[in-house]
Amino acid sequence: MNRLSNKIEKLSVFLRLLFSHRMGLAGFSVISLFVLMAIFSSFLGTVDPARTGAVENILKSPSSGFWFGTDDLARDIWSQTIFGSRISLTVGFVAALITVISGTLVGLVAGFYGKFVEEVLMRIVDFFMMLPELPLMIVLAAVLGPSMWNIILVVSLVSWPTTARVVRSQVLSLKERPFVEASRCIGAGSLRLMFGEILPNVIPLMFAQAVIMITEAIYAEAVLSFLGLGDPTSISWGMMLHFAFESGVIARAMWWVVPPIVSIVALIVSFSLLGTAISDVLEPGYKEKKGF
Amino acid sequence: MGLKGFILRKVVAACLTIVAIVCVNFVIFRMAPGDPVRMMFRDPRVSAENLQEMRQTFGLDKPLSGQFVAYVKGLAHGNLGLSFSHRRPVLEVIAQKIPATLILVVTALMIAIFLGVALGALSGWKSGTKLDTFVLTASLTMYSIPTFALGIILLLVFAYHIAIFPLGGMATPASLLEGPELIWDVLWHMFLPALSIVIWYVGEYVLLTRSSMIDVMGQEYITTAYSKGLKKFRILKNHALRNALLPVVTITGVNLGFAVAGVIEAETVFSWPGVGRLVYDAVSHRDYPLLQGVFLLFAFSVVLANLVIDLIYGYIDPRIKVST
Amino acid sequence: MMKKMNKGTWMAICLMGAFLILFTFSPNALAKKSRLSVGFTTEEALENLQTGEAWQYTEMGAVFWPLVYDQLWIMGPAPDYEPLPMIVERWETDDYLTWRFYLVKNAKFHDGKPVTAEDVAFTLWYLPKSNPAWDYPDNDIEDKSSIKVIDEHTIEFTLAAKWPGKYPPASWMPVLPKHIWMPHKRKLVNFENKKCIGSGPFKLKKFKGGEYVWMVKNKKYWGEVPAVDEVVFKSYGSQDAINMALKKGQIEFIGYNGSSPLSVEDFKKTENVDVAISPGIALVWLGFNLHKENAIQDKLVRQAIMHGIDRERLIQMVYLGYAKPADSFIYPELPIYNPNLPKYAYNPDKARQMLEQAGYLDKDGDGIRNDKKGGQNMSFEFLVPSAWPDEVKLAKVVKEQVKDIGIEIKLKVVDLDTYYEFIYTPKEDKFDISISSEEPGPNGSWIWEFARGYNNGGAGWNQAYYDNPEFDKTLDAMNAETNLEKQKELTFKLQEIMAADLPYAMLVRPDLIGPYRTDKFEGFVETMGGLSTWINVWSYFKARPIK
Repeated sequence: MNRLSNKIEKLSVFLRLLFSHRMGLAGFSVISLFVLMAIFSSFLGTVDPARTGAVENILKSPSSGFWFGTDDLARDIWSQTIFGSRISLTVGFVAALITVISGTLVGLVAGFYGKFVEEVLMRIVDFFMMLPELPLMIVLAAVLGPSMWNIILVVSLVSWPTTARVVRSQVLSLKERPFVEASRCIGAGSLRLMFGEILPNVIPLMFAQAVIMITEAIYAEAVLSFLGLGDPTSISWGMMLHFAFESGVIARAMWWVVPPIVSIVALIVSFSLLGTAISDVLEPGYKEKKGF
Repeated sequence: MGLKGFILRKVVAACLTIVAIVCVNFVIFRMAPGDPVRMMFRDPRVSAENLQEMRQTFGLDKPLSGQFVAYVKGLAHGNLGLSFSHRRPVLEVIAQKIPATLILVVTALMIAIFLGVALGALSGWKSGTKLDTFVLTASLTMYSIPTFALGIILLLVFAYHIAIFPLGGMATPASLLEGPELIWDVLWHMFLPALSIVIWYVGEYVLLTRSSMIDVMGQEYITTAYSKGLKKFRILKNHALRNALLPVVTITGVNLGFAVAGVIEAETVFSWPGVGRLVYDAVSHRDYPLLQGVFLLFAFSVVLANLVIDLIYGYIDPRIKVST
Repeated sequence: MMKKMNKGTWMAICLMGAFLILFTFSPNALAKKSRLSVGFTTEEALENLQTGEAWQYTEMGAVFWPLVYDQLWIMGPAPDYEPLPMIVERWETDDYLTWRFYLVKNAKFHDGKPVTAEDVAFTLWYLPKSNPAWDYPDNDIEDKSSIKVIDEHTIEFTLAAKWPGKYPPASWMPVLPKHIWMPHKRKLVNFENKKCIGSGPFKLKKFKGGEYVWMVKNKKYWGEVPAVDEVVFKSYGSQDAINMALKKGQIEFIGYNGSSPLSVEDFKKTENVDVAISPGIALVWLGFNLHKENAIQDKLVRQAIMHGIDRERLIQMVYLGYAKPADSFIYPELPIYNPNLPKYAYNPDKARQMLEQAGYLDKDGDGIRNDKKGGQNMSFEFLVPSAWPDEVKLAKVVKEQVKDIGIEIKLKVVDLDTYYEFIYTPKEDKFDISISSEEPGPNGSWIWEFARGYNNGGAGWNQAYYDNPEFDKTLDAMNAETNLEKQKELTFKLQEIMAADLPYAMLVRPDLIGPYRTDKFEGFVETMGGLSTWINVWSYFKARPIK
């Protein structure tokens, strides 16, 4: 009980610090906006974004009927933008979740067991980190075929090593700490030590990593879709840009291009800001500096 | 561990990585669906003998293990196979595209490093001031904008609406220009793609130099230098910047992998006829040998660059020197 | 340092400014000679000068070789599309099996060697053998002895089967110089052919794979020397870039497929640009995979789907009205077009009714009908190549329309090469329905081979795995019929069978939107498919600079 309240206390301090950080607050607010947008897409979007519209509405500039105008199949850009947030955020969160969990596991095991296990795992990590990311993702996406889940898979496959490396170095320093030694002395098993003692202390780091991974996943989804490796039947921001770029009329239809670009950039910048803020806050000494 | 041991270790690691890359490269492409040989013909009325002949030409008639051996043997001789879509040796196809990419990347990278380091050093030097905050925020934003999105915006604004730059390509098609005129033409075509890459990089280098600068500024030797009464500029030049540049050097190597991403995006948006665009074309034609070749090229250059950087680092980093 | 930095930054900014100003004056090549420049996309560009698929299946290749090489005969311009002698004076046949062509006497290759019957004989025999390419029913000659060189300028050959009809055999076939190609006869396709020596009205001057082809007129051409001095095919990275080049006057017209309907208004407003809206040469249809065991095999389902498709809306949505409904492989303006084919008018009620009566009911209430046999949802994979944006759009609209009659369509969008691999192997069941498009052209009897049964030598083009002995019989009879009137009747019958059975369901014939400049050249020739296609290179022969 005591431990739990202690944790809640820690968390609330962390959040207060984060929100008092200007970048953190700004990033968090914009992200919340997008999350709300994704959750309430069905209410915010005026029509089904995939449904083609009336012939006379093809490629119309923004108006009261179509706030962001329409595309070449008379589909509402506003609704597409709204629903697009779902795909970006889903890809971002799911890929980050997979990446961080698998990366943490590898980092934890490598850091904790050391020696041979560490050597092997870290060589694999090094190897993956050497591979140029985007070409690898392109190749994998091309081989696996276009779908959102494949993109998630590809992004996770390519980005887990960063987390593994960061977590490992943290684990290396943690396992020498007295509280781990103490547990070991009273006979705690390896699993208990790893997941009971060390893991909780890695969580803030995982959190920071997750934010970075979300940024990368959102970016990757946008790029792959734009390059034509996304699912052409689903509507994501990258796909919108892909179709706009292929239509041959983007010069005339700025309204088709600007909303997805602004959305992608806003979301990625917000996550970067949040990420910067989190790493600032997690830095030793920051708390004291701010008077907590 | 001595300097020799250090070098040896790095070289061995790089070689192992390359071997692994070759294997992974082979495996990924065997996962691909479809029959690449049949895909090469638009006309379906190909006879069985012709298909078989084509399979032999491309070494696809052997079992997987045989294909792997042939593949490795070929690689050892610098033979990357024949491109399906170009019907020419992969090496030739890629080699033809490398200059275009190099011109673009080197130009963009040089400008970006220069601007980025200068702004980053300034920002770090003046850390905490309004100037610093501005540079920091701007860089963070620039760094976060995907190159292709930026490219589209640049294209829309500067090639369509204020049509002062071309819509893409590396030179005016079949302009038949020569000499200085051709160079101008290429520079004119290169401006927007290079800019879209530069903006991204500047952001990154500013962030990097800045944080490294702030680190260094807190070190004792800087304070000592101050107390010695050295001039500010000399401290910056001789002590601070020099040490702050170490991580910048490292990141340039690590970043080659990312550089590749920016290049693929910019080349696609601006139809720049380089290796990046080749990746895109190879993907859309399912030209596996070509894709394999390009991927190998990228991976090799990243590994090699990292090795070189490691070695340089080993040479200039005082801590490694001390341990020898 | 601060000051220095600032100076540096300022200098950089000034330099950039200077660049900006300098670059606005883009380099402009001086045109002393009349140079006709034509734009293609990079995807359409010719990668090499080898014969074979590059010449037939890349757009630039299909227009390029007819300029540099002569053909025995060439298809004339609209509206009659008469077969016109090219490098021959005339031809004759008694039985449509053995043909005799009389070559012109003064024709020379670009290297000065005369064009003789030997060259024709060489090409006739080896080019179709250079598999996989250049293999058409009208150049099918069974053995070498069937080709006879009568004298230096007369050649006679016997086809494997009769080739009656309006057009003589050996259509769209270059005459290759034997003295250059002989060493490569076993593998014509592999010969690099860097000099591209032909006998045509244009000579190759310079070529850069994937970038440009630069041709100059053949001043010593035996026939009518072109009026333009040079022709340059340029390739651009995107359709936008081509459009912009046309507006700026860097090209005179678009080399193939024209421009998007969305750009028509824009071009109409542009000075010195006119837009030719020509009837299309391409037909777009649905191909049904009749090999796969599912409800698609039921003719009634296919007919119901056709009643469920609103072609008028397709035409408006996808082509902004620049397309015509299609119902046959034969173009309506040709005399062999059968005007009495079932039109499958849009009638969703009728479609639903047909499906209900046939027992395709929605048993589980999910809005999608269930197959009467297995009970599974009537959900079909619709194969579309990502490289065809219009067809991707079309597929999306069709998907919505068919949904209204209770049939689900799942789009399967793949790259073009995978697409071709899949549709030509219907037996592997990799799709249920496909979108297809071909350009039969006026001399289009080869298109019927798309429906020839597998048991009757139809493997290959038959994407539908269609098998109808009656159809095959009619097709063979049509191919052998020498009486034009009777041949027409048989063609009518083929169209009827096809429209009733619907292995392929014709959808639309998109118009060709061909913007062209009016300030430097005149005399461009328009046919179906626009100013420049594989059947129309007349624009290059006839264009002349405006004085």
